Amino acid sequence: EAEAEAEAQIDSELDAQAKYNKDTEHNNHNPIKPYHERSWKITIHTLGSTYTRQEQNEMRSKFSFLQFPGPVQMKHPDDEYLFIREVELDAMGGAVYPRHCKGEDGKTKKELIPENDARPPLACYFGRVLGNGTLGRNWRGSNRLFRYSLKKRTYLGPTSMDSELSLIMTNLAKVQKGSFAFDPFVGTGSILLTAALRGAQTFGTDIDLRVLRGRNPNENIVSNFQQYGLPPPELVRSDNSIYHRHFRKHLPLFDAIVTDPPYGIRAGARKSGSRRGDGEVRPVLEEYRYDHVAQTRPYAVSDVMADLLNVAAMTLVMGGRLTYVIPSMLDFNEEEDLPRHDCLKVVSVCYQPLQTELGRRTVTMEKVKEYDDRKRDEYLEGTWVNGPQSAEKVANIRERLIEAAKKKPGYEEKAAWRKQKRKETKEAKKRAKLEGADQGVNSKSPNSNDDSERG
Amino acid sequence: MRLLTHNFLRSNVKGTENGYPLNIEVTTINCEDSPLDKSFLLNLLPKVNYPALRTAVQQISQHCVPPLKEIPEQLDVSDKESNQNLDHETLKNLHRVLFDVYLIEGWLVCPDTGRKFPVKDGIPNMILHEDEI
Repeated sequence: EAEAEAEAQIDSELDAQAKYNKDTEHNNHNPIKPYHERSWKITIHTLGSTYTRQEQNEMRSKFSFLQFPGPVQMKHPDDEYLFIREVELDAMGGAVYPRHCKGEDGKTKKELIPENDARPPLACYFGRVLGNGTLGRNWRGSNRLFRYSLKKRTYLGPTSMDSELSLIMTNLAKVQKGSFAFDPFVGTGSILLTAALRGAQTFGTDIDLRVLRGRNPNENIVSNFQQYGLPPPELVRSDNSIYHRHFRKHLPLFDAIVTDPPYGIRAGARKSGSRRGDGEVRPVLEEYRYDHVAQTRPYAVSDVMADLLNVAAMTLVMGGRLTYVIPSMLDFNEEEDLPRHDCLKVVSVCYQPLQTELGRRTVTMEKVKEYDDRKRDEYLEGTWVNGPQSAEKVANIRERLIEAAKKKPGYEEKAAWRKQKRKETKEAKKRAKLEGADQGVNSKSPNSNDDSERG
Repeated sequence: MRLLTHNFLRSNVKGTENGYPLNIEVTTINCEDSPLDKSFLLNLLPKVNYPALRTAVQQISQHCVPPLKEIPEQLDVSDKESNQNLDHETLKNLHRVLFDVYLIEGWLVCPDTGRKFPVKDGIPNMILHEDEI
């Protein structure tokens, strides 16, 4: 009976798939086959531990009770099922209780550590892979995710969020059809695009006018959306540190706020105001008002986060979610160092190691209390419960990384080598340019009195 | 920029509290067609400042081809019940003015100080200059 139910479920999914393909004229490599003809395979994921092929096959055989009727096919099956065996991982993504011991050379030996191997997993997951194709870093083939790969995007910037993480973030923020999603640091719009993919109405602000407007009419945020046939986002150039001065007081508006705040590693955060340290402001003459480029000044990461949480508390509907990424080094303590707000509660924190010293956390918060206008100062002051030292942990990461790198052995040699390389590349480019120019001169008309060459 | 966004923007130059709603000066305007999402619209309506929307429509209507259809003179959008009972034609017209009209080039003018905020490539530039903060 369960089998009949599963079969009916899969058949209805196949119908929906066929309709989707027809509607969108999506090029599907796998023609829709009835359930009992569909080839299949089970992929095993054991992050942090290695299992031999034999051991993996034993795991696979545990699922024989499912009795998939079709043939097993390891390469490009119609259906891929995924079994994930989760064990406790340390900050670097290695197992806390590794299965195998390490040899003196630091490489893993084949010897099992029996007491570690006997430990039960934290959890096991089993499911069917959606989106056609092999999971993982292989973007090729019929993997639908490939369509959204940054490599295909017409407009990118140094801070564009990779589409996988954007999709995860919008999932965590429960963005769905009919949601109103907001990104206050919209940049090139990569996160907002995945919100729109999920059917949301999107709204983005940024203080950087150049990134908002893009390179040209064919390379900007809106053209990225058009590339995927998505309705365009609403964009405003504004300063999130003074959200309440750009926007009238309004009822909570957003179902989800999903963002990658500027934390100074690749894009320095700015806010409105005079660049001068002495507080003196020169008035802008009215006749220059419309050509004036507004001065901006550095925006401390601690304030970026305080303002972000406060705007979220103010503008999210009850139960709405804020999902953001925050860089952190190994000294970061989730319990004490995450920014807080009286109206928001932390729902989840996902840590992703990036380098030896550095990782990033994807934090999701939910609005649980209505915002009280009178408490604005109180809210802002309460952001960092451990005071400035927590804010420092996420601020100035670039400087801290450089300092840490400088302390490593061999840094000076590497730095000198890199400098030499840059010099060589620059000179090579210069030479190429001169040679090209020479050839250009030779190919022009020998008649130097040609009128068409006059200015 | 669509009227949905305009409805929430204000001017707070030097702290003025009378910088809402912004007056619209049209240079270039586009009209598109998008399907009505009834539940989204009904969810949004209670948050819209209706008199401001109506004024905005009056300011831009003459520039739209075809001209925008009339929306009701008065509407208490905070009443979710009565919003549910709005007829389909009204909902379509509300949808159109909120979502389908794009101001590409123009100005948003503060009704109090006269400060003009430029709109270019459909993006309003609301950044206050350092002497306006």
